[in-house]
Amino acid sequence: MRTLDFEQVSPGQALPPLTKHVTVEQIRQYAEASGDRNPIHLDESFARSAGLPGVIAHGMLTMAFANQMVTDWLGNRSLLKSLHGRFAGMVVPGDDVTCSGTVASKDDGTRRVVINLVVTNQRGEKVFNKGVAEAEFPPQRSSTHAA
Amino acid sequence: MTDSRWVGRSYETAPFEVTEQSIRAYMAAVGDVAEDDELMAPPTYAMVYGFDAYWQLWTDQEVALDVAHLVHGEQRFSFQRPVRPGDRIRTTGRLTAINARNDMELVTFELKARDAEDQPVSDGTALFIIRKA
Repeated sequence: MRTLDFEQVSPGQALPPLTKHVTVEQIRQYAEASGDRNPIHLDESFARSAGLPGVIAHGMLTMAFANQMVTDWLGNRSLLKSLHGRFAGMVVPGDDVTCSGTVASKDDGTRRVVINLVVTNQRGEKVFNKGVAEAEFPPQRSSTHAA
Repeated sequence: MTDSRWVGRSYETAPFEVTEQSIRAYMAAVGDVAEDDELMAPPTYAMVYGFDAYWQLWTDQEVALDVAHLVHGEQRFSFQRPVRPGDRIRTTGRLTAINARNDMELVTFELKARDAEDQPVSDGTALFIIRKA
């Protein structure tokens, strides 16, 4: 990845969207990698008995997609300083979820950028909303301001 | 309704040894496989090294959350530094609020992760929603 140039960021700018097709296999793989083996994510009959339509994806998998959209754009994972959002709807196997983001503000002094985020499914329903990410860019190199 | 006397209860993970294998398994699972100059975990990997704190809360027989009806409602993270292989991270989670709202119960869990030198790595706040059975 190549780190984004702070000077290229402007308020109102849209981030490149990221779409993911969620599968039973991916949910299983996430359960293994994260340690979260709650049966509502893995066991169809358990999920139904809990009042769900069937197994659902971990909310944190959706948040990981939103994280990826932002860090792919930043080109450097270490720039991300905070991430927040609400799990507004269930994601189930077969869903196509799309992460979208817009630069809400940019502070030239602190070199901080705030990005608003939302993740929607193939029906346009929000599954993750009121998302906010904050990034901080490293101090500007002095060479461009040499006296 | 969960008894509000458990507000304030805290849970601590054993030190989580971050390995390249664990980071790469997470990256593959979420499909976030772009390479930085050096390997660092996607920031939401905080859920992996901190997971045992969540697990301890969910399985605490005294607090007895109705986990079959629990869903993740909201999540906030702050990242103080990137996480790399070789890090040893200890996460402390604290049950900070239990609130009733309509036919739901809202449980707030606040987490702080620190490294082997006791320096901050990340903070988290999770809001869980328990739907009435």
